[in-house]
Amino acid sequence: MEVSVICSSQAKIRKTELAYRELGCFDPKGVSKAFSAKSRVCFSPSTMWRKAGIRSTLKAVQSEAVRSEKVSGSSRMSKSRDGVRLFVGLPLDAVSDCNTVNHARAIAAGLKALKLLGVEGVELPVWWGIVEKEAMRKYEWSGYLALAKMVQDAGLKLHVSLCFHASKQPKIPLPEWVSRIGESDPNIFFTDRAGQHYKECLSLAVDDLPVLDGRTPIQVYHEFCESFKSSFSPFMGSTLTGISMGLGPDGELRYPSHHKLTKSNQIPGVGEFQCYDKNMLGILKQHAEATGNSLWGLGGPHDVPTYDQSPNSNNFFRDNGGSWDSPYGDFFLSWYSNQLISHGNRLLSLAASTFSESAATVCGKIPLMHSWYKTRSHPSELTAGYYNTTTRDGYEVVAEMFARNSCKMILPGMDLSDEHQSHESLSSPEFLLADIKKACRKHGVEVCGQNSSASMAPGGFEQIKKNLLGENIVDLFSYQRMGAYFFSPEHFPSFTGFVRSLNQPELHSDDLPEQEEEAAGSLNVSSEASVHMQAV
Amino acid sequence: MFFSSVRIMSTVSMEPLLHHPVRESVRYAPKSRTFKPSSWSCSTNHKLVFHGRSFCNFRSSNVHALRASTTTDTDLVETLESTDVFFKETFPLKRMETVEGKIFIRLDHGQNNGNWQLTVGCNLPGKWILHWGISRVKYVGSEWDQPPEEMRPRGSIPIKDYAIETPLKKSLSSEGDALHEVKIDLIPTSAIAAINFVLKDEETGSWYQHRGRDFKVPLADYLLDDGNVVAAKRSFGVWPGALGPLSNLLIKAEVSPANGSESSNESREAKKKSRSLEGFYEEQPIAKQVAFDNSVTVSVRKCPETAKNLLYVETDLPGDVFIHWGVCRDDTKTWEIPDAPHPPETVSFRDKALQTRLQPKERGDGCWGLFTIEEGLQGFLFVLKLNKGTWLKCMGNDFYIPLSRSSSLLAKSRQGLSESAQILEKKEEAKEEAKEEASLSAYTNGIINNIRSLVSDISSEKTRKNKSKEAQESILQEIEKLAAEAYSIFRSSIPTFLEEPVVDTEELKAPAKISSGTGTGFEILCQGFNWESHKSGRWYMELKERASELSSLGFTVIWLPPPTESISPEGYMPRDLYNLNSRYGNVDQLKEVVKTFHEVGIKTLGDAVLNHRCAHHQNQNGVWNIFGGHIKWDDRAVVADDPHFQGRGNKSSGDNFHAAPNIDHSQDFVRKDLREWLCWLRKEIGYDGWRLDFVRGFWGGYVKDYLEASAPLFAVGEYWDSLSYTYGEMDHNQDGHRQRIIDWINATNGTAAAFDVTTKGILHSALERCEYWRLSDQKGKPPGVVGWWPSRAVTFIENHDTGSTQGHWRFPGGKEMQGYAYILTHPGTPTVFFDHIFSHYRSEIAALISVRNRNEIHCRSTVQITKAERDVYAAIVGEKVAMKIGPGHYEPSGPQRWSLAAEGKDYKVWETS
Repeated sequence: MEVSVICSSQAKIRKTELAYRELGCFDPKGVSKAFSAKSRVCFSPSTMWRKAGIRSTLKAVQSEAVRSEKVSGSSRMSKSRDGVRLFVGLPLDAVSDCNTVNHARAIAAGLKALKLLGVEGVELPVWWGIVEKEAMRKYEWSGYLALAKMVQDAGLKLHVSLCFHASKQPKIPLPEWVSRIGESDPNIFFTDRAGQHYKECLSLAVDDLPVLDGRTPIQVYHEFCESFKSSFSPFMGSTLTGISMGLGPDGELRYPSHHKLTKSNQIPGVGEFQCYDKNMLGILKQHAEATGNSLWGLGGPHDVPTYDQSPNSNNFFRDNGGSWDSPYGDFFLSWYSNQLISHGNRLLSLAASTFSESAATVCGKIPLMHSWYKTRSHPSELTAGYYNTTTRDGYEVVAEMFARNSCKMILPGMDLSDEHQSHESLSSPEFLLADIKKACRKHGVEVCGQNSSASMAPGGFEQIKKNLLGENIVDLFSYQRMGAYFFSPEHFPSFTGFVRSLNQPELHSDDLPEQEEEAAGSLNVSSEASVHMQAV
Repeated sequence: MFFSSVRIMSTVSMEPLLHHPVRESVRYAPKSRTFKPSSWSCSTNHKLVFHGRSFCNFRSSNVHALRASTTTDTDLVETLESTDVFFKETFPLKRMETVEGKIFIRLDHGQNNGNWQLTVGCNLPGKWILHWGISRVKYVGSEWDQPPEEMRPRGSIPIKDYAIETPLKKSLSSEGDALHEVKIDLIPTSAIAAINFVLKDEETGSWYQHRGRDFKVPLADYLLDDGNVVAAKRSFGVWPGALGPLSNLLIKAEVSPANGSESSNESREAKKKSRSLEGFYEEQPIAKQVAFDNSVTVSVRKCPETAKNLLYVETDLPGDVFIHWGVCRDDTKTWEIPDAPHPPETVSFRDKALQTRLQPKERGDGCWGLFTIEEGLQGFLFVLKLNKGTWLKCMGNDFYIPLSRSSSLLAKSRQGLSESAQILEKKEEAKEEAKEEASLSAYTNGIINNIRSLVSDISSEKTRKNKSKEAQESILQEIEKLAAEAYSIFRSSIPTFLEEPVVDTEELKAPAKISSGTGTGFEILCQGFNWESHKSGRWYMELKERASELSSLGFTVIWLPPPTESISPEGYMPRDLYNLNSRYGNVDQLKEVVKTFHEVGIKTLGDAVLNHRCAHHQNQNGVWNIFGGHIKWDDRAVVADDPHFQGRGNKSSGDNFHAAPNIDHSQDFVRKDLREWLCWLRKEIGYDGWRLDFVRGFWGGYVKDYLEASAPLFAVGEYWDSLSYTYGEMDHNQDGHRQRIIDWINATNGTAAAFDVTTKGILHSALERCEYWRLSDQKGKPPGVVGWWPSRAVTFIENHDTGSTQGHWRFPGGKEMQGYAYILTHPGTPTVFFDHIFSHYRSEIAALISVRNRNEIHCRSTVQITKAERDVYAAIVGEKVAMKIGPGHYEPSGPQRWSLAAEGKDYKVWETS
């Protein structure tokens, strides 16, 4: 996206250009698009000035600047000109469970480094288990607010991820009171065929059941969001520009179908369906009876492999003649994935309505279940809740759901390339990503990219660049994640190179419009800073 | 034990050497066999390129400064001679600018006998000193040794027994640029593996290292195999630090974006080095803050025709200068915008001021502006702004030029200015605008300034692209530094403590909770000896007699001298750790004195020297590294990287103390023996805790081990390194210094406290130079360790090393009580030096201690700094005590009723009544 425009002197220059461009290529759609992406103007010029007085001056000028910006945005549809706003995730445990900022000095130094690099902002995971740790509706935001202040002071933007799940590494549990309830009633958790509970997040089947001391999880999430909104109102829209709603395991909209595989060098298996908690089974039964197949509602499919097995080790996912391709298969898989999508819709509409008046964008994350993509049945996607096979597009309806809620979609795995996947897993992250992006484009859903959180795969940066520069649908990338490895000599230099190559300008700097002599000195400075942090 | 400052202090005596005239270098030349033309051509190829616009400024202003002021005067006379000038004044302007230059290192053949010669030089002004040593071939470590006599250039001074300091001589390059260099002849027969050096600028006290390490020039290949230049070249190269390749990489990425991740050490070498067949030539960019003196002259005259005032502003500041100005109608000096017409290139700045660009003079050495001011206005207010976002003011306030002719104003325009400064100190009255600018200019949080200077560099140059590369490089270095900092913290799994939250509940619990790092929280330490205490031979007995007195003064802990048998009488060169007969007394007397202190309620700290230990026997090479006595160790207990002692242990986990074998704490048997020894001391002698000597010498994690084993009630480590100075002035921000101390405490897992060297250093500057504003950090907290982790900070103003008869770093004389007024009222655990207790300060110290005890100030008490200005610092501690130091005025206010509790020269302490 275009830069170098937030400056009164330039705005004047641009006006003449503007007229020319309006004649040349006026594109109403482009205009509206650029409007919606107004925060793309540049690398946060206004936050460079923390003194309110100066900022107000900037604002006065900005209205004009935006006008020229929108035109230039529409006039240059060339994708590579679109700057991608880059975010970097803060450590998962940036705030400790006693609400202090962990590694505060390191984070402070890191923020400065990122700011200097020209990174737009940081992503901050906010944990349910920390904020509402002790008792329902007893929120403690202090640690996160302190961190937000640090981010603001560093002149960076903030994107908050509301995490309604737990983390194993680092260990961040669900709120204590939720875990206690879970101990007496494990049916609030996802359950697999063997009856094992996945205790890192609540089952989507209890969304609307009053299992949490008489309140439904949706109500609890909603109150959490409201509390967040009021606590963070000073940051809303200025520093805080994005909120991503936790939708399930690891925050992603999916079933915890793969949580058993941990060995890294192992080929991931197909995973397992997670429909065996009491409530899920109840819903399934109802659904089966309603559709006149009550026998199909007694449980999940019987002929599925276990977590780490390959598709062919049992009948369900077989390429030819697998049960997935049968009427029963379609019955079950449709139901299974619809449950997930309804869950996603419940949470995203909750978030969208809660944050509708704040200027922050609401996002949700979906997984990239790319292993076994090259089989016909896509078992990994199926068990995760995405009914996407060679014969059926499962992402269309997901994208439609995001579009309905005007939410942005966070897509991980942008660093994964097919050639680096193990051959046996028949995986294709690139094709899957293309499928999802296609669905998003069709429904006008904007995509925020992420890398898969593991340490950067070989060729990962190139792959990310390819994903970002090749598609204008991705305008924001959230890099995962700050920590010791991130700043290590093995990694940080290549990250820096990546950031700089992303922001490489097309125009030679000599071709940029001549700067007028400093009129209102400080103003110019800020705009130019933004130019160069991005455009150099 | 004291090490680092020895290095620094001893260089001070060299200052006269630096004034050697240029002739001196001619006399010096024959020894280096006159300058060889080729060597000059070498430096010509690498013509001393000064990077960046800033240096251009430096040169021009330096040259033109004087000239400018003369032309200014004549100009003025011309313009104003016929008119009625009723005000004219020249204000000095001081500004700091970063000047960039380079350090160059050249290895080539000397003139006559073909010996190799190493030349180290620098093209920035300064009193440069090469602090260097050699590594011998037989040692693999990177440690320092002194070079043979014949290698030392004239004027060299040995530093202890491991280094040499040689001043750089001023000379001129063939281009006529001034540079400083020193040449060292390498002796082919000596088995020298490498020359290590750092460059020191005596003028500023700054040390220039190579990416945080010593510069190192490997020589073995040259000297042993004269022809093997290629191999030697390979072995030279830039010493990559942890993040060494980063900045190259980034610069490269700029050139070819696609090659982002390619490592590029080679490209740097290719780029930076032009190697002749004979040796090499290497440059390192350096930057230095240099102060420039400029001035601004303002003259006012009455225009006879219009009765308006004509105000002429002229300055010799280089580059674009903007004047922010306004007028005022009364003495409150509230800015107003005067009516038009305004001079050309004037814009309104936030409707509060006008900003006018001053016109460059024709001769190009400064600029001017002419302002027409209506009648009836009281004064003209302005500040100057340089294009780097630097605001220049008059002693921290707006310039104020009286416009009325009234004789009083005319007569005391100077006083008027300082008065206005006083008035404007009341920030409420100062204009919002001015406040904002002040805080902006004071806002030194690297980021913005960096970006800003980058930007102005870029925008002000036609050759934008080249410029931006330079500027980018400096930003990249900054990024690299920050990343390294973040990395080091993240890597250590223990979360750091930025600021210790002061929790009420903890406060209440504090007295009950005793941990080795903090004790009870209410400790007041007495250092129970000085550097001469060993002389009587019966110090323990002398101390014993003072026990009840110390107790009645309010001390709760006494630090006793090192108890072991020692090579040096002061006890810091221990040999047989279990032999506790020392020059301070025998083991029975030690037990007795400890018992006596316990009887009067004072805990005792043993001074444990764990870093090094003197040997009893020599090994087969005649090196002293075999230990006898109760703990019999061989050379496996000695670190491997100490060249003097041929240790066979691992490399040191910290700095080396060069006078004795450094103990390798990574060896299990060493740690086991030391643990046992400490436990034995606790049990046998009755020590309650430790003062740990020279803990910079080994990893803090080992300290944790020892402390957990010996379970002291209190422990404090001596982690001492030098503070940061820029241009001879101590930096306001000593966060790096205190962070190193915090890092050490962290490494001990908080089991030990540490002496707050940072606070002492800042007190030095604040008191000595009357810069009391230094006593508040950017966040309004105490600037020392005590501001970040008060419960682990042991504050002090003097000890046996810094003061006493050694005087390595003596507290400003006559101001000791201000120092005590500070540390005895502030959080942290204060330490009072023996010499001060038994001096004329005694009653004042006693009064302060009793205020502290009476008001229950403890190591975690809160501090609210109420004033930190040029001549006064004031704070309220724990809500019950207020204090001020400095000559300036302060009285505590607020709802409480304050009554004076103690006072003395330039300090006062109040408590609530």
